Amino acid sequence: MRFFSFHLMPYSGLPADYDGPAWITCPNELFDPVLGGELYNRYIDDLVYAEELGFDGVCVNEHHQNAYGIMPSPNLIASVLARETSRVKIAVVGNALPLYDPPTRVAEEFAMIDCISGGRLIAGMVVGGGPEYYSFSLNPAHARERFAEAHDLIIKAWTEPGPFEFIGKHYKLRYVNTWPRPVQQPHPEIWIPGVGSLETLEFVARHHYAYMGIPYFHIDVFERMFSMMRDACSREGYEADPLQLGWLVPVFVAETDVEARRRYEEHFWYFVRRLLPGINISPPGYTSVRSVENIMKSAGTFALNLDTWDQVVEGQYAIVGSPDTVAELLAANVERLGVGNLLGLFQLGTLPAADTRRNLELFATEVMPRLRARFPGAAPAMGPATATATGPAANGAATP
Amino acid sequence: MSAVTPGSLDTAVGRIEVHRGGTGGPAPLVYLHSAQGEVPGMPLLEQLAATRAVVAPLFPGFGASEGLEHIDDIEDAAFHLLDVLDRLDVTTCDVVGMSLGGWMAAELAVRWPDRVRRMVLVNPVGLYVQGAPITEIFGRPLDELADELFADPGHPVAAFMHAMAAAEADLSQVPFELVRPMLQAMAATAKIGWNPYLHDPKLPGRLPRIGAPTLVVHAVRDGIVPRAHAEAYASAIPDARLTDLDGAAHLAAVERPDEVAALVVEHLGH
Repeated sequence: MRFFSFHLMPYSGLPADYDGPAWITCPNELFDPVLGGELYNRYIDDLVYAEELGFDGVCVNEHHQNAYGIMPSPNLIASVLARETSRVKIAVVGNALPLYDPPTRVAEEFAMIDCISGGRLIAGMVVGGGPEYYSFSLNPAHARERFAEAHDLIIKAWTEPGPFEFIGKHYKLRYVNTWPRPVQQPHPEIWIPGVGSLETLEFVARHHYAYMGIPYFHIDVFERMFSMMRDACSREGYEADPLQLGWLVPVFVAETDVEARRRYEEHFWYFVRRLLPGINISPPGYTSVRSVENIMKSAGTFALNLDTWDQVVEGQYAIVGSPDTVAELLAANVERLGVGNLLGLFQLGTLPAADTRRNLELFATEVMPRLRARFPGAAPAMGPATATATGPAANGAATP
Repeated sequence: MSAVTPGSLDTAVGRIEVHRGGTGGPAPLVYLHSAQGEVPGMPLLEQLAATRAVVAPLFPGFGASEGLEHIDDIEDAAFHLLDVLDRLDVTTCDVVGMSLGGWMAAELAVRWPDRVRRMVLVNPVGLYVQGAPITEIFGRPLDELADELFADPGHPVAAFMHAMAAAEADLSQVPFELVRPMLQAMAATAKIGWNPYLHDPKLPGRLPRIGAPTLVVHAVRDGIVPRAHAEAYASAIPDARLTDLDGAAHLAAVERPDEVAALVVEHLGH
């Protein structure tokens, strides 16, 4: 079992009278640069603190033109973390490959972070959310094939001697010769986040990568998603390792259940009602018709449809409570879902700095040790940074 | 008894659905549909097929037509249509196109002007006009779109879109078979028209190559394409005129088949 602290870096300053979407068209006049600077620094401190508290890794991600997560370049944050931490894995989950042209840029920046951090990068690769295709005016009907081609190019740039020529449908490069190369060989561990699209699951299974289930759905949806992932691995002829599965979930721990809800609820609703609207836009051709059918089955349980705290608790959209409650709920779900990576969102919406810190501390001291004791099997000892990647998923491209 | 019947045609990109009917006339009438894929059971085609040969291919991604994976942009679309004409042994034709189909008709006519005898463009997209943007069609709420596509909210398709919008909060309650054709149609349209958004920057400079006498129809209540686009087509195509159609919106050929048929017949002759 590995524990990660994941930060979305939400914008907490949307005015009370703004009720539009947080994505694509959310007016950038609403962004206060001074507040933004404070948030970036505070959020980086949260992530650095996670190392001190004994987490195995920290996670950042990429979104554009939105208030939900003000991290258009997660690689900038990851490079800061490479210097500010010394032990934790740094998971960039991920770079939206189709948005980088040419995508050798991703191979370069990830390799830089891997070098600076001494081989601690987890290289996440993602198709990019639906809104990104509006924000970049990038054709969503080409999203999957651009992603697949960019992925092949990046892996090749890391694993085959350059210079070489790469002539694909979307990228035509006459001299691929990526400097620097990553410390981790043949390449950093690769994670792919997803919401259950079949293409993505099959892609991850085929390459022996790790699949990170994105939150904001009913826990039953995660169960089905991870079961589909295990099936996809079976069809590839192997059994999924728990370390190939990650569950991303908001977590909040306080002294008692009552105190936890009292401190957390309003910030959770800010996140759901102010920052999620607009995230679920699915541009035409972005997802195959057969996957849309599958995703539609989950649509009704998307967090945007939540009205009451009882629904949050019932569907386990966030794990909130005393250390005992949180430890029990997480243990039960880790077992039910069969995941080897727990990615906790310890700051959400407008949750203030002090509550975030206390949350991280209580989780690290009261909850994490119990889970480590309960799930020792899939828990690689996270020692000092080494030049070799841990976990079977790290060998991704080396395994057919 | 319907005069226009569905069939199939093998093309370079795959097997496509083609609706054909009627005989005679000065040249076969080729109808190019909008992003709605409105061909099956279309009253306008029935009316036109009463006096002449009509053929309406469904573009890859629409209906049962295969081959979208081989189409990436408007140029691929134009060459696909040329292939369709060749395989149908249509040397010269009259072309009627609505919206996306109007754009495709223009792209065909600028490349192979000898293949097009006369042409009718109904609310065509395909041009960029400064200060007169084409309304966003991708990712819009269906009830809003319905009001831009149809003048009468009671039209069966408009009513269906309103019903879908009401159900959208929980898509798990919507039968997937109802959604599939719309998803496919929009995916096909996005492949051609996402960026540049529903236009071809090269097209304006090529329009003077069109030799066919062209009627450009602008529906007065079109909520998608401003009149300036019809004006731009009509002024750049050498032998063109512009007609305004009252009481109709973007999908005029669907909603007002009688009026559109009359304009088509008047322009193309029998």
